[in-house]
Amino acid sequence: MTQPFNDTSSVLGIEIGTQNTRAVMFDVVDGSYHFLASGVAPSTQKAPFFDIGEGILAAITQLQLIIGRTLMDHDGNLIMPSQPNGEGVDRLFVTVSGGPEVKIVTFGLLNEVSLESAIRLAQTSYAVVKDSFGINDRRSAQLQMESLLAARPDIIIFGGGTNQGASRSMVRVAQMIALVLTTLPKNNRPEVLYCGNRVVAKTIIEILEKHARVTLTENIRPTLEVEDLGKSSEELARMVLRVWTKRMDGINRITPLCTEAPSISSLNYQRMMRFLGKLYDPAKAVLGIDLGSSYCTFSSSNANQCNINIIPLGMGDGFEEALTRIKIEAIAKWLAESLPQNEFKEILWQKTLTPGSIPVDDKGLAIDLAAARAILEYGLNEMKRQSLLASSIFEPIFISGSTITHAPTPQQILLTLLDGIQPIGITPLIIDKHGLLPILGAISRAHSLLPVQVMETSAFTNLATVINVESKASDGTPIVNARLTYHSGNYMDIEVKQGAIATLPLPSGEVGTLSLNLMRRTVIEGLINPNEPFKVHGGVCGVVIDARGRPLTFPKDVTTRRERYKRWMFMLGA
Amino acid sequence: MNASIIQTHPLIQIRRNRTLPVSGTVLVRVGQKVTTNEVIAETEMPSQFHYVDVMRSFGLTTPGQAEKLINRKVGDQVDKNDILAETGGMFSRIVRSPRAGTILSIRNGQMLVETAKIKLTVNAGFNGKVVEIIKDHGAVIETNGVLIQGMWGNGKTGFGPLQINEHQLDSELETSSLGIQNRGLVICAAFCSTAQLIESAASLPVGGLILGSINPDLIQVAQNQSFPILVMEGYGKTTINDYAKRLLITNAGREIAVNAVKWNRWTGERPELIISLPAEGDAYRQIVELKLGQLARVHTSPFVGQLAYVNKLNDGMTSLPNRIKANAVGLKFLNNENAAIPLNNFELIDLDNRYIGRSE
Repeated sequence: MTQPFNDTSSVLGIEIGTQNTRAVMFDVVDGSYHFLASGVAPSTQKAPFFDIGEGILAAITQLQLIIGRTLMDHDGNLIMPSQPNGEGVDRLFVTVSGGPEVKIVTFGLLNEVSLESAIRLAQTSYAVVKDSFGINDRRSAQLQMESLLAARPDIIIFGGGTNQGASRSMVRVAQMIALVLTTLPKNNRPEVLYCGNRVVAKTIIEILEKHARVTLTENIRPTLEVEDLGKSSEELARMVLRVWTKRMDGINRITPLCTEAPSISSLNYQRMMRFLGKLYDPAKAVLGIDLGSSYCTFSSSNANQCNINIIPLGMGDGFEEALTRIKIEAIAKWLAESLPQNEFKEILWQKTLTPGSIPVDDKGLAIDLAAARAILEYGLNEMKRQSLLASSIFEPIFISGSTITHAPTPQQILLTLLDGIQPIGITPLIIDKHGLLPILGAISRAHSLLPVQVMETSAFTNLATVINVESKASDGTPIVNARLTYHSGNYMDIEVKQGAIATLPLPSGEVGTLSLNLMRRTVIEGLINPNEPFKVHGGVCGVVIDARGRPLTFPKDVTTRRERYKRWMFMLGA
Repeated sequence: MNASIIQTHPLIQIRRNRTLPVSGTVLVRVGQKVTTNEVIAETEMPSQFHYVDVMRSFGLTTPGQAEKLINRKVGDQVDKNDILAETGGMFSRIVRSPRAGTILSIRNGQMLVETAKIKLTVNAGFNGKVVEIIKDHGAVIETNGVLIQGMWGNGKTGFGPLQINEHQLDSELETSSLGIQNRGLVICAAFCSTAQLIESAASLPVGGLILGSINPDLIQVAQNQSFPILVMEGYGKTTINDYAKRLLITNAGREIAVNAVKWNRWTGERPELIISLPAEGDAYRQIVELKLGQLARVHTSPFVGQLAYVNKLNDGMTSLPNRIKANAVGLKFLNNENAAIPLNNFELIDLDNRYIGRSE
């Protein structure tokens, strides 16, 4: 991160999402940066406004009301820099996560090597892979060309060949791409990201750049064993933002006001995850999940690696895709109340037509949280399948996205996360209610001190420290006795049975000492000496002992399953 | 506090951009009257290709060598078996075109022969007048008349006389509504839950199908049809909202244009019905300030398709019955039930107090 600038006190961050635009204010309090407040308003890049400006204006207006400070003049212009009377702001940062669909087509050589890496690269940004082509593609050259044209991509990712590997095949593929590009109108051609064999890069660029804008980046598969998406992922993010800037009015207008040019949230989110990954135990991983309207972002990082996977599934605009990929039964299993299958399906599909809608009753809320669990479960399985988890033990988990973070009770949030993620070992859960991580990531490019100081404040909510206990004992058998000793010296004991979930109160900001007595055949993943007392941090839900086992299993009988689920909710007070 | 509008209007000025996705030829001029099915712009797009790698076919090492052997140029028409490239000499090797077509591109010793084209056209979509030309892409068409917007469309457009059977407006689509006498008509029904009925409608075919709601299991079947299916409220067994139903009944027998596109929130294009009328319409509004007494239509569970009057404007966030906090207003439903409904869960449907009560 860069050096801090020293003429700054107030910083305004704006995040433009698909559904909501958020304005976040930071300022110096007692010598260090603090998060003051956030204002949220519906985003306006879609119809009927077609301009991000209205949403930004409304979000800042709401922020002004909350903090009681004037940030804009009578003409709606941002007052910059801040005035002696406290009006205005010194710096502005804008990050964007909500734009129209960006279509990507990937090219590689071997399906399991470079093509897979190219697809994974596409999944590091807000985009949808429409088609993929490798040298083992069984389609004829003609059919491949027709498919490429039919996909009408905005971006072509072209990888393949290790740095000393195949070059003739790469040139041939480049020639085929060039041939297809010539058939498209000049103003309608996709940009090309070349991330393949560096030895032939010059030739490839010569072939392609006559027909389209080409960006050269590092080889994503420099050797067969190594995948390196770091630089190429940054380039791709910039390309996605360029596509959005062309199609979304207002970004260019706000750019001159920004301290740094507007950036894309995926990149900023990953920047913060990389930073956080270095702060925690290198044997474990920090997990970040942002369940948005169009996309769900998963990022896992520690001192050794930082991975991101963005799936086009979300709780609003991405909900139709979620219902396409996830079976209804995988959502229904999380419902505690009986609901006719037809009605359940109709409510879910109705949500696809009303992306910004909010559940008004308990049934709607239960369905939303069930769907959120299913998306989390799907995304985590994808991370596992693609070996993108830096460790199987997460410490901590950062979660954002209004469906989850705006659930009425912390216990509902907690159970949704535990069900959807099913963490193992000891896991602190942290709620990013204001969606700060991408904004802090954007700010960190120019101001390294602010994010560090804000992370140390109460801008994030500690939800709970969860101890996940696994045992082969039968249901209802006591498997752990726990004693939580408070700072005052008082303590609380609890006996937890197999299949149960229990809480020990410990408020946010407090630290307690937890002593565990595990019964035979009972383990806590990653805890080397379970008989040794250890420190735990408090949270809104205190310290939680989850003895339901991993993976969670459900009785086949629907009534028994619902009863069990109700019991879990009751145990947590959800 | 602003709210969006679902256009459900007996007489409004309607302007729509009708454009090709790529550049083409615009066939109309400003001031010209156009009919629903009239083509206003067209273009041709290559749809099938033949790819010829001359360099590889002749085993050459550089594209330059190959290009010297190609005796065609871009734009040339070729017939099946025509020679595209030859080595020359006593025992000349030859590359022939496998199909008739046009040489689309010659690059790096490779050729692309376009062997089939598809014609892309864009229709006026409703009876109206051309008020603006969008260069090389299409035109802006204007009319005055009835405009009724819906929630979902199967991606097709069409038109025909509007057939109203009041019993059918309140019940599931029935086979009796799909008799031969209804061929070419636009049929309305409360909902449809079986694929066979959609296939029966296709076999007539009908001019279009307007439904209150549809079984989500039929999405694919509906999308496979060539006639338009427009869904007013969403998925399930919800009937067409009472206000839209009244407008449809009033206009029975008139020609109705059914633009059953999928709702695209990025372009603003939305499934809609248009009946052109020879009268001056009200000005078009998309966003208005919320006021007490306005009629709204809720589009989310458990109130899908229900009409209600705005009876309370709340400052700040409202706590909903499930304790979620949201920007919401108080609505009074036609059965006198009151509920706090988030702004995102409804659209205003009548701004001018035209609605005079339930039609039952």
